Amino acid sequence: MRPAAPLTRSAAPIARNSKKILGVTTVVENRPGGSATIGTGAVIRARPDGYTIGLGSNSSMLLQPLVNPGLGWSTAEDFTSVVKLGDLPCVLAVRADAPWRTLAEFIEHARANPRRVRASNSGLRTTPDLATHQLNRKAGTQIVSVPFTGGGGEALLALLGGRVEATVGFGPTTKGQVEAGKVRILAVFARERYELFPDAATTVESGFDVTLPTSYYVIAPKGLAPEVLARLTEASVQAVTQPDFISFAKANGYILNPITGDAVKAELTEMQAELREVLAFVQQRS
Amino acid sequence: MGALEGLLYGLSVATLPHNLLAALAGALAGTAIGVLPGLGPVAGVALVLPLTFALEPTTGLIMMAGIFYGSMYGGSTTAILLNIPGESASVVTAIDGYRLTRKGRAGAVLAVVAVGSFVGGTLAVIGVMLAAPLLASAALLFGPSEFLALTAGGLIVLARISGGSFAAAGFACMLGVLLGTVGQEMVTGLNRFTFGNLELTEGINLVPVVVGLYGVAEILRLAEAALRQPEPVRVRLRDLFPSGEEWRRAVPSWLRGTALGFGFGLIPGPAATLSSFAAYRVEQAVSRHRAEIGQGAIEGVAGPEAANNAAATSALVPLLSLGLPFTPIAALMISAMMVQGVQPGPLLIQQHPQIFWGLIASIYIGNVMLLVLNLPLVGLWVWLLRIPVWLFVPLLLVIACIGAYSVSNSMLALWVLLGAGMLGYVLQKLEIPLAPLVVGLILGPNIEKHFREGMILAQGDLLYFLEGPISPTIWALAVLVSLAGLLRRRRAQPVPDAL
Repeated sequence: MRPAAPLTRSAAPIARNSKKILGVTTVVENRPGGSATIGTGAVIRARPDGYTIGLGSNSSMLLQPLVNPGLGWSTAEDFTSVVKLGDLPCVLAVRADAPWRTLAEFIEHARANPRRVRASNSGLRTTPDLATHQLNRKAGTQIVSVPFTGGGGEALLALLGGRVEATVGFGPTTKGQVEAGKVRILAVFARERYELFPDAATTVESGFDVTLPTSYYVIAPKGLAPEVLARLTEASVQAVTQPDFISFAKANGYILNPITGDAVKAELTEMQAELREVLAFVQQRS
Repeated sequence: MGALEGLLYGLSVATLPHNLLAALAGALAGTAIGVLPGLGPVAGVALVLPLTFALEPTTGLIMMAGIFYGSMYGGSTTAILLNIPGESASVVTAIDGYRLTRKGRAGAVLAVVAVGSFVGGTLAVIGVMLAAPLLASAALLFGPSEFLALTAGGLIVLARISGGSFAAAGFACMLGVLLGTVGQEMVTGLNRFTFGNLELTEGINLVPVVVGLYGVAEILRLAEAALRQPEPVRVRLRDLFPSGEEWRRAVPSWLRGTALGFGFGLIPGPAATLSSFAAYRVEQAVSRHRAEIGQGAIEGVAGPEAANNAAATSALVPLLSLGLPFTPIAALMISAMMVQGVQPGPLLIQQHPQIFWGLIASIYIGNVMLLVLNLPLVGLWVWLLRIPVWLFVPLLLVIACIGAYSVSNSMLALWVLLGAGMLGYVLQKLEIPLAPLVVGLILGPNIEKHFREGMILAQGDLLYFLEGPISPTIWALAVLVSLAGLLRRRRAQPVPDAL
């Protein structure tokens, strides 16, 4: 039992929009479980007729096949990525009464205290966990990643209760506490400033190139007929550029980026290479 | 947001037309569920759970709360009229309630129960308003070690008080914990006992287990014993007015029951049942008419009913602020929130004030609705009992299957339903209580999770689990309750199952 991620609920507004665009009703079927590989697998194994599409994340599409061989897909070549919806960047937050004002100060403290600085996150091998390790790798620190299993709320609570020194999580979960003045965002794991926290510095501008986000894509089985793919791509792009979807995405902290076709595949291949590197780094460390 | 503002805000949420409708539908469905044999409140709530997924979170939870309160009310109606307690909190209600019915005071008792539930609920809402913000900040003191103590200690206490022998309840408890290990293990994602089945990685879902144990097993029992169609007493509207003396005797019992129930509700645990038993004991000890209690005294009904209602309301505070369920129904409410993407816990009040305060306010409104609707409708509820068994048993089975399937759209749920149904039937025959099994299934993974998280946080230091004032206190209490139970074994009156 884990709370449904906000974007899994984005299937509903997309389906509503595609009804407007394609004139047919899209039935949304939630298939939870197996770190989302059940739903993703059901789409990838479906008949490539264009009638079964799904919502996948970089975790279920790229990371899971790395840690869980035998799923039936291993790289971006094994399915069709129709359109990318967007990214949910990680943020690093500390308590408002913590001494560090910038990421650089925090990293310096972490370097001076190896394995003494702990950062909570929403689970082992989630994007925030991997982003923490990626930061360790790039900054030469040994921040202990403390995975909580009950979602980002618990990780945040561990920070508020003073059980860890920092938390790496997502913007929407953290926003309420930032507004209440309880926690401070030290960095957003992104290249550009994040609309949710425009005043927070990014990792890249602080000198650490760590930008691993959670990303969501509309996917379909491999081997769609070209005209089917073209129609599906057109409709999907339209669906995710409708004003109601844009406002839904903004409200939930997503950075929209509706790229399609080869651009998506290139991004996925690059992202999987990065994930592979981080995993190798984690395994070598432990 | 302050407490009063919060409650006003909650009332504004709960009185939105669709939320009022949800509360009404829930209260009516719940009462029907509570009245009908074969479908206790637990199975009833489990069955409507999938329906609430389609609603927005607040509305869905309001409906579930309505069903919960309605079923409690319906349960006490059958307890009073037929001596069939619909759920365990109304077991004590049956003692004096049914005797008063035989004396011809059925209508008055029903009115005392309805008004008493209303009084208990109302006062408890005020109490919650004052206590909730305090408790929510206290919940920040809870980390993995405190949660481990609370979940593991709570489970031990529950096994102790669930009725049956400690061994039988402990067996059910372990069975639940074992079932809870199926699926993807939480920390590292290792698959356990899944036999290569991807659907099993999600673990064994609570809903088919609960519907099976409480619903299908009961249906099997109904099919086995040609059910005696009870012939309920006729209650006319003008019988519903208690006499002046009955009012006078009920008021102090209501107040005592409310205070007691409110206190019990704030402690994480199976509060409604415990508090109704405790209130009955209190009435036996302090009431001016204590000699009559057990022979048909209004105090024996008024106290426990006000207590379990107050407890059910105040129990929402630990439930919502700690996210720990100690009864099957609470477990179902938590799982409904999870499906809706709402994380129960100390942050709930801040992050989803509409849910917290909307729920509290809707409970209040639900109480008013039950008061206004149910008294005139007593005749209808009694009539429900005359539906022939051959008609509603197959119907219930179909509803059970649809309900179980629609939780995760998986055939696996139906097999689990079937298995749980047969298991529940056998366990009931062996007089093994079911509640520890359900709570074990929910808390088992929690216990493991808090233990593992604590180990990671403390980097392997076991002594971490005994640090601070809270964890050792909870452990000491759990040990104390278990031992006290063992020592008082002969005198202890078992609390029946079906919380």
